[in-house]
Amino acid sequence: MMKILLVEDNPELTQNILQYLTQEGILCETATTCYEAEDRLLAFAYDCVLLDLMLPDGNGLDLLQLIKSQGMKTSVLIISAKDALDDRLRGLDLGADDYLPKPFHLAELLARLRAIYRRSKLEGSDELRFGEILIRIQSLEAFVHDKALDLTKKEFDLLVFLMVNKNKVLSKQSIATHLWGDYTDDLANFDFVYQHIKNLRKKICAAGGKDYLSTVYGLGYKFDENAS
Amino acid sequence: MRLLNLLTAIYLLLTLGALVLGGFFIYLKLESEIEFEVGNELKDQIDAYAARIQSGVDPKDLENEKLEIQNLPFHFDEEELVIRDTMAYHEPVNRIEKQLKASKSLKINGKHYRISYFNLVIEADDIMETVVYIMLLVLLVQLLVIGFFFRRIANRILLPFQNTLNRIQSFSFQKDEPLSFEKSKIREFNQLNSFLERMSIKLLRDYRQIKEFSENISHEIQTPSAVVRGKLEHLMNQEITEEQAHLIHSAYQSNEKIQRIVKSLSLLAKLENEEFEAPVPIKLDLLIRRNLEHLHELMQLRQIRLEIDLKSDYSVPMHPYIAEVMVTNLLSNAIKHNQERGWIMVLLQNDKLEILNSGQRLSKNPEDLMDRFQKESSHPDSVGLGLAIVHQICKTYGFQFSYSHKDQVHHTAVSFR
Repeated sequence: MMKILLVEDNPELTQNILQYLTQEGILCETATTCYEAEDRLLAFAYDCVLLDLMLPDGNGLDLLQLIKSQGMKTSVLIISAKDALDDRLRGLDLGADDYLPKPFHLAELLARLRAIYRRSKLEGSDELRFGEILIRIQSLEAFVHDKALDLTKKEFDLLVFLMVNKNKVLSKQSIATHLWGDYTDDLANFDFVYQHIKNLRKKICAAGGKDYLSTVYGLGYKFDENAS
Repeated sequence: MRLLNLLTAIYLLLTLGALVLGGFFIYLKLESEIEFEVGNELKDQIDAYAARIQSGVDPKDLENEKLEIQNLPFHFDEEELVIRDTMAYHEPVNRIEKQLKASKSLKINGKHYRISYFNLVIEADDIMETVVYIMLLVLLVQLLVIGFFFRRIANRILLPFQNTLNRIQSFSFQKDEPLSFEKSKIREFNQLNSFLERMSIKLLRDYRQIKEFSENISHEIQTPSAVVRGKLEHLMNQEITEEQAHLIHSAYQSNEKIQRIVKSLSLLAKLENEEFEAPVPIKLDLLIRRNLEHLHELMQLRQIRLEIDLKSDYSVPMHPYIAEVMVTNLLSNAIKHNQERGWIMVLLQNDKLEILNSGQRLSKNPEDLMDRFQKESSHPDSVGLGLAIVHQICKTYGFQFSYSHKDQVHHTAVSFR
């Protein structure tokens, strides 16, 4: 089971993240200040730290430096509203594993977290399985009933994203942001997501897979285990 | 016009005025002085002749061309000295000249004489000529003085001013250094400089505040908005009715829109504050190819035909992030506002990037779409800041940006110089 420390001073945001990650079976502890986080980091071991940079008693980057200087075996995912580029670069320079600018979609956070976890802990065995669907992330391969699927890069990304966030409703926006990045997320309003989903569904079904993808009242899409 | 030239011109003009006025008064004064002196001389002459008559000389012997003696009836009163201008024959030059005539009557030895004496006066023309000549000489001297000394001295006096000007021109918000000046001996310059120093400190402080504000505002709005998004995403995963789903959907959409607006506005603010310095040479063709690859599937989905002709290996000095935003915005704009089975043409030649694409006819003037929040109404969820951002980027870097359309062909062009 993955165990993480969430360092974030906004209680509402903390609650949102906590709820989403806990549902996914991730053990989540929280700290609201640098001081508190330092305490916890020195006392317990975590797989990953979700680190906000603007904290009431200091900059999260100092915490990152502490983690690296102490040689702690924890990954760091920076979540910051300061999308100032320098912070992004500095964070990555200091050894952060990833940088997710606020505001992010919870689904995106989970996907990044899983990716970091796979890289750092599950070396090699980067397989995702979902019923008859098997994905090898490193080699960008997807199989249905052990038959290789011919997916484009984006379709593959989409499938991973859906599978990591299985049984959750994913908004079109969160999918668009995941696929095309920050400055093109209004592409969600132009039916591109729908067409990608449609193509992916077609390919899975053609390979004999079950149709797990469902639409939820125009809100978004869901990769549903219990799909009929 | 340079300040020094203006000063010189004014100085010359004033000098000229003073010389003309001075010349006029000198002329008047000279004239009256000459008349006065000549008058005195005439009076002395008359008195001298009167003395000679008194001593018994026959007036008839005395008479010459300058002297006229008349007998008057004895009972007439003696006339006072009268001096007046008259025209009279002047022998040496053999013509009629303006002369001054003084006359006075005296009772000498029981007889009454009127003695008139003429003398030539210097002519006005001659006086004028002299005055003008002298004044021109003075003017010439002045010119030389101005040319050699005044301009040199003024230049030296204005040197601190010139220095101040240079400092102001090289002032930059990015350097984050207030202006500082050397002490000058002139009080006014010191006043100016210390005012500018205080001003620059205040400017930098205000600038920092605005910068922090634009960073903070995006943080302050995005945090609660992120909370809203999270809550709505949780709500989506509850057991909900279709009606509730619609409510969630529209709340979610509006919230997403707020986030996009805030993000774009804070980018615009940063561009306007010129926060993106330190440009590096950007290989445009590589950047465009990478972006097209990224957007490739979008074009396939809509069956948009792509034609590219990237001839140039031109590098533009830009901030890499901004270059990315510009190219992404232009390309995704061309895709979004395209139509099924449409086409896009991307041309890069030397220092000009052109993107042509098919699309719907515009109802708005294309130039207006560069303004903020201007958009075609067919996409209510589009924020309408895409072209405004490209426009601002071009303004910041001094590029030429144009957008036009003709017969359902949209044409955007950026010229990098």
